[in-house]
Amino acid sequence: MIEAYLIHLAILIAIYIVLAVSLDLALGYTGLLNLGHVAFFGIGAYTSALLTKSGVPFPIAFIAAGLLASVFGALLVWATRKLKGDYLALATMGFSFVVYSVLLNWTSLTRGPLGIPGITKPSIFGMAISANWQYLIFAGIVAVIVVLFSRRLVSSPFGRLMQAVRDDELGLKVLGKDTFKIKAKAMMISAAMAGIAGSLFAHYITYIDPSSFYLNDIILLLTIIIVGGIASVKGAVMGTIVILLIPEALRFVALPGSILGPVRQMIYSLVLILILLYRPRGLFGKVDLS
Amino acid sequence: MAILAQLTANGIIAGSIYALVACGFSLIFTTTRFIHFAHGVAVAAGAYLLLALFSSLHLPFIVAVVGTLILSAALGVLMHRGIYVPLQNRKASSVVLLISSLGILIFGENLIQLLFGANVRTIGYLPASRGMDIIGAIITPLQLTIIIISIILLALLFVLMYKTNVGRNLRAVADNKELAAIIGINHRKVTTIAFALGTMLAGVAGILIGLEQNLEPTMGTRLMLKGFTGAVVGGVSSVPASILGSYILGLVENFGIWYLPSGYKDAIAFVLLFLFLLVKPAGLFGKDKGVKG
Repeated sequence: MIEAYLIHLAILIAIYIVLAVSLDLALGYTGLLNLGHVAFFGIGAYTSALLTKSGVPFPIAFIAAGLLASVFGALLVWATRKLKGDYLALATMGFSFVVYSVLLNWTSLTRGPLGIPGITKPSIFGMAISANWQYLIFAGIVAVIVVLFSRRLVSSPFGRLMQAVRDDELGLKVLGKDTFKIKAKAMMISAAMAGIAGSLFAHYITYIDPSSFYLNDIILLLTIIIVGGIASVKGAVMGTIVILLIPEALRFVALPGSILGPVRQMIYSLVLILILLYRPRGLFGKVDLS
Repeated sequence: MAILAQLTANGIIAGSIYALVACGFSLIFTTTRFIHFAHGVAVAAGAYLLLALFSSLHLPFIVAVVGTLILSAALGVLMHRGIYVPLQNRKASSVVLLISSLGILIFGENLIQLLFGANVRTIGYLPASRGMDIIGAIITPLQLTIIIISIILLALLFVLMYKTNVGRNLRAVADNKELAAIIGINHRKVTTIAFALGTMLAGVAGILIGLEQNLEPTMGTRLMLKGFTGAVVGGVSSVPASILGSYILGLVENFGIWYLPSGYKDAIAFVLLFLFLLVKPAGLFGKDKGVKG
């Protein structure tokens, strides 16, 4: 019983690590104040769920989830190319609301608020991943690949360019670099990872509806990467583990389900406010959010 | 013809509520220069405070309303002094303030859900009444009251802003913080007044909605997004522009569902918000200044 529960928790942590690390690539490393990351998560989840429902094999749906999210990432950077600071933050958040309302209203495709039930567990080249421990291995491998890739990326020459965009965009332009291209690439990588996380989420939970991709999850993601400290892959990983485990302590006081949900959200948002007040660089952060 | 009148009426009713949310929000934004999303908490708090004071504690209605307004203003000051001022003292950027305000919004929404439950509640002060026929549109007396109260309050706000010392100070800080400080205007005091006043207006919006519709914990977030959209459409950097934008949003939403299913109402607002932020961040009537980026 407790074992099953720990496996469940570990799977969620693996999925959110992918999501948090990917957000940090855009928000922390490149300085793109993206408050709409959850939209890519949703796009990935729906793409993967709908494709497998119509008979597409899981590996293709999984890749398509990343690709489509990535395309939207490029579009978002292009659409918001003239915005900075607050307005970029608001516009990206606005983007996630638009995606949310499309998921909610395009009922012929997404069934709207009813959501999509019965999403199949994945099978990769004839190998079915049906038990949760198998899913944990699968999600764990994806998370490890994403983390290793991100660590390589941020210390690569391109990673240094990403950070230069964040620190001194004008200076980089003077040096003749196309900063728009760097931002677009960074956002596409970030969005693709979030799309993949969406696919992992959809096929694990097996039911998705638009409410999973709204404000509550934006707050959760922001709390994770701000607690971890922005512009730190290690921070994003540790932030995910810490933030997802904190509310689990409530399990031991046996609160009823109707109380557990709001209390969990209150903890997330309270931690977010407190960390901004008292330790704005989080656990491992190297730069300030500006 | 009747449908045209009805849609216009519905648009104005919705617009009146959005305007009350937007003008308080914009008042706070112009003096403090950051996006205070937690304004939505104040709207929901207004409705739920009235529910608690009137329906649960059985206070007389007027007492409950006055109590709600005072507590709303206190909530605004608490948010300002308890969270934003310490953050500003740390030289936090406006994005950090924006994110913390989202944190407060979600915290407040869930606190309300914890205290009052996730189910819809009703205040039940007024019995459901038959609507009156005004040039083909059916409007209930309460809806008419909402429109009238909003217009009176908005007019009072204008008088306050343009005819009193408090208003002059508010406008001075909005116009140029440094210059206002040089001529001896206490910035902390003025922003506190803006928060108290703006949040009280949000409380009024909450009360009016609480009387007309059901209460649910997420109502604050929903109305905040509408009020914010209205403010952006009109121009966040000016209170009158935000008010006009809110009426426009109310009308556009309601005329939009002439063509689209009614579920699209929120989608229309979100798309408008996104497009305005991208294409015309200063809004239709806003001054360009105050818009960064």
